[in-house]
Amino acid sequence: MTALLLRLFSWRHCRLAPGTSILLVLILALGVAVYFAVRLANRAAVAGFQQFTSLLTTQSDWVITPPAGRLPESVLPELREALRDLAVHIVPVVETTGAPPRQANDGEEEIGVRTTYTLLGLDLIALQNLPVERPVVSMTEAAQFWQGFVDPLAVYIPHALAKAQSLDRGSVFPLIINERIVDLRVAGVLPDGGAGLRIPETLLVMDLPNLQALSGRRGKIDRVEFLIEPGPLAETQRAETRTILEKTSAGRWSTASPNERRESAEIMTRAFRMNLTVLSLLALMVGLYLIFQALDGAVVRRREEIGILRSLGVTARAIRRAWLAEAAVLGLAGGALGALLGWAGAQWAVIAVGRTMNSLYFASSARTASLSGGELTAAIALGVIASVIAGWWPARNAALTPPAQMLRRSGIASTPQHRRHVMAGGLLLALAALLTLVPPLRFADGGRLAVAGFFSGLLAVLGGGLLSAPAVRLVGRSLHAAGRISAPFRLALSHLRRPASRHRMAAAGLLSATAMTAGMGIMVGSFDHTMRGWIERTFVADLYISSDGAQSASSQNRLSPSTWRAILARPETGDANVIQAAPVQVQGKTTLLWAGDLRFLKEHIRMAWLERPENDAVFDAARNAELCLISEAFMDRFGLRQGNSIEVPTPAGMKTLKIAGSFADYGNERGSVMIDRAHFARWFDDEMAGSVVMFVKPGHDPETVRAGLLKDYPGLSIFTNSSLRTEILRIFNQSFAITWALELIGVCVAVIGLGLTLASMLVERRSDISTLRALGMTHNEIARSAALEGAGIALGGVVPGLLLSLGLGWILIRVINKQTFGWTLQFTIPWWQLGIFALIVVCSGTLTGWFTGRRGSKLPADREE
Amino acid sequence: MTVRALAKSSAPDEYGVSSLSMTGLSAPLLVASSLTKSYDGQAVLRGVSLTLSAGERLALMGPSGSGKTTLLNCLGGVDRPDGGTLRLRDKAIETLSPDELAALRRRDIGTIFQFFHLLPTLTAAENVELPLQLNGLPARERTERVKKLIERVGLSHRAEALPSQLSGGEMQRVAIARALIHRPSLLLADEPTGNLDSVSGDNVLNLIQELSEETGTSLVLVTHSAEATRICHRTIHLRDGEIAAEERTA
Repeated sequence: MTALLLRLFSWRHCRLAPGTSILLVLILALGVAVYFAVRLANRAAVAGFQQFTSLLTTQSDWVITPPAGRLPESVLPELREALRDLAVHIVPVVETTGAPPRQANDGEEEIGVRTTYTLLGLDLIALQNLPVERPVVSMTEAAQFWQGFVDPLAVYIPHALAKAQSLDRGSVFPLIINERIVDLRVAGVLPDGGAGLRIPETLLVMDLPNLQALSGRRGKIDRVEFLIEPGPLAETQRAETRTILEKTSAGRWSTASPNERRESAEIMTRAFRMNLTVLSLLALMVGLYLIFQALDGAVVRRREEIGILRSLGVTARAIRRAWLAEAAVLGLAGGALGALLGWAGAQWAVIAVGRTMNSLYFASSARTASLSGGELTAAIALGVIASVIAGWWPARNAALTPPAQMLRRSGIASTPQHRRHVMAGGLLLALAALLTLVPPLRFADGGRLAVAGFFSGLLAVLGGGLLSAPAVRLVGRSLHAAGRISAPFRLALSHLRRPASRHRMAAAGLLSATAMTAGMGIMVGSFDHTMRGWIERTFVADLYISSDGAQSASSQNRLSPSTWRAILARPETGDANVIQAAPVQVQGKTTLLWAGDLRFLKEHIRMAWLERPENDAVFDAARNAELCLISEAFMDRFGLRQGNSIEVPTPAGMKTLKIAGSFADYGNERGSVMIDRAHFARWFDDEMAGSVVMFVKPGHDPETVRAGLLKDYPGLSIFTNSSLRTEILRIFNQSFAITWALELIGVCVAVIGLGLTLASMLVERRSDISTLRALGMTHNEIARSAALEGAGIALGGVVPGLLLSLGLGWILIRVINKQTFGWTLQFTIPWWQLGIFALIVVCSGTLTGWFTGRRGSKLPADREE
Repeated sequence: MTVRALAKSSAPDEYGVSSLSMTGLSAPLLVASSLTKSYDGQAVLRGVSLTLSAGERLALMGPSGSGKTTLLNCLGGVDRPDGGTLRLRDKAIETLSPDELAALRRRDIGTIFQFFHLLPTLTAAENVELPLQLNGLPARERTERVKKLIERVGLSHRAEALPSQLSGGEMQRVAIARALIHRPSLLLADEPTGNLDSVSGDNVLNLIQELSEETGTSLVLVTHSAEATRICHRTIHLRDGEIAAEERTA
């Protein structure tokens, strides 16, 4: 029966009006595509964070990393001795990064524009003995192989890079490592691994001692990887290896499997990805409103036909099934198309997502997002499920309405039960408010996720949607007097005064899109305002110097002591701060240890104190060896406050530091512990500097000093005060680019939905339009009336949407952002932007109404008298 | 006189005007000559000619599919004939642009429908006021005229009711008021009693007659009911898109 009904009715309607069906499929496809593109991009970007060694060899079984700083080479014989009874390969690894020097056409001072290359230092001879089918750096071509040892600048490059840049053995590959431009020489090309494994274009391999020397890490290694020899005892030996590694560690390292390390990358970016995913659902959510509207409209249009079928004995269940099947077919088509569109969109999104992850989290090698059969199925399933959910209510209406009512020819389309909607809407808003009080979900690594906050936002949007019908009615009522102006006004306002369920759905779609976009606008505006204030207070020095190879958050390029000392010794250099930072494990969670001259902070920077230090001891290197300052994110993540103590691991042993104060900081969400660099250098045996912040002496021009420094040190990146501020804001805006794109799509879908609604209502009102034409109304007047109605619906969606956005903005800033990232932002409302946005949406609604009305006014009469 | 004889005598003269159309009431208001109209190759009107004098009331009768409503639509400028000429007060309707046609309808023509076709979101008074608004009358004058006419059709107490709150007879009274509020010269009524019980139908017919007499409005009434023709001066019988007969009824 369902198939028969589909074939005889649904399919025929689709053939008679293909435009509506195509538009619906496209809208659904857009919703699925946006969600899917973000999902693929997120996955690809996280997958781009890999254990690079696993691409060269087989996946290692265990990895040990120090809780802070680096491991001394002396641990290697110790490890060998401890594991002497086991068939395990020990692979020490040094890992650093580098970026190609600026080309003439590169932006003057933009960060993150050039590629970050990962350099792996491996013992090339030991690599030959690994249990892999085919070593990537082969000894078969002996002459070239030995070049890797003899030539301190010999590098092996991946096949993809060789091909992309036409490099071959002997080619020169210049790279900035630390503050020096180094002309690396290509010693060989790494072939891609088996089973389709492709070595990323950004991975370079050098012999371990050569890279140690080049990166200023002689005698130190970043991690050690362990590979168990395959065989029947492999599993036992694997477990035994871990036990021994943990037993011999004595706090000097932690042991993890590569999977555990990959998970930590996922955890690190979880909040960022989650935010994107939630935002990407907006278009789908608005799309659901539209599917609902379209199917509901179809039920009204075809009610006579349904009535006839019912009177012929077709059961309510068969009618419901046929409608649901029609919704499912729409979903199937929309899901399939959405998967393809999403895959195409993911190719752009992965670059945008990857760029943000590079700037904020780690180097991601992802360049493309691939589509698997499973994901294709998931996208289609999403389309079908979404469409069936949206089609459920109309299907129920179609099945339950009595045949006699169905056969009635005229009357106002069903009006919603306003009071019930207002009550339900109010209840949802109250629930949303309550959910803001629920604390975030906390993960083992200290990460937090504002799950209740997200639900609060969702409920607020849904609750607001339910209140949209009264809002449309309010627009109609409050402008009632304007009905005297002209007939189009009178007509439009009469429709708004008594909104049908279609009005409500269109307004609800616009309300959701407006609330989320404007809420996001408030958050970005608040972020922008807070950031500008922070930048104003924090970035006061004349010049900011770092390695020009530092192009991502994971960059390991530093300034050598000889270089920064020489800079400090220059006659034009005034007061300066030498800064270093290193990731450390506190309470088993990764955080950032920031080291600098705390006196400099006190003298030059207006810190945004949350807890001001009680005295000046923390700013005095002679007295602050056991003191530290912590950021707000650290405070939230670890639940520590002024006066508490923390244990910070260092290569010189565990240090107990008392928290002297806490400050607002927007650098990272994992939190920072700030100590004096004098102690850091001693504890970490590391004099390298991440950056140097300096004032120039009176009488010197910062630009001239910068030019002089760049001439002497071409591998440096030097920002003047104003250019750094601009660059920080550029990176900040860049990280919100994808967010805006998602919101824009949501708003576009909502405006298209408004057009669909008006079109469907005009088809429904064909009889009224015939009457109006008989009364002498022109096509233009009918179009004007539809335009005014469109404007009214848009107002009914936009005005409460903007009001709701204030609450949503507050939830985003004070709940989601605070709980997830631990940042306190000043609540700022960007009035101008919101006003312009509202105007654009209302104008779009008016124009859509006009065009739809113009078309509707020319529909053939629906009369048979 | 038999119907056949009437049909013969009502054949158009050399000017395309039926001799029986001359009622002697006054000069012709509407002159239709040899109107033809087809839908999808099917001829619905086959050279229909008629004349209507100012103040005259004409009934159009005929079985379903005889072309009554199509003829009415053509007379009202809602539909365009494929051939023939149509003049209302010396204005050639078939040459008018869509906007000029709309202006003509809003100024000179009032229409009453079988299914009332009141706009469901407007109150009774607002429905009646709409033609005046379309004609750009000032608000105060509109209000006064609407009040008077609503009172005249006996619906003062229902002025603020929505169509869905009115009975069939009440709805048709509102529709009559809407059709006459702007004082058109031509009133077109398509089965105005077709959807009403006999008592309401009688009342509606009486009202139409009274108001058209009071205002001097000409009427073209499409009806199935011989009883309804009592308010008209003459009746034209249509069959298969042609005038089959014409008779004087009053």
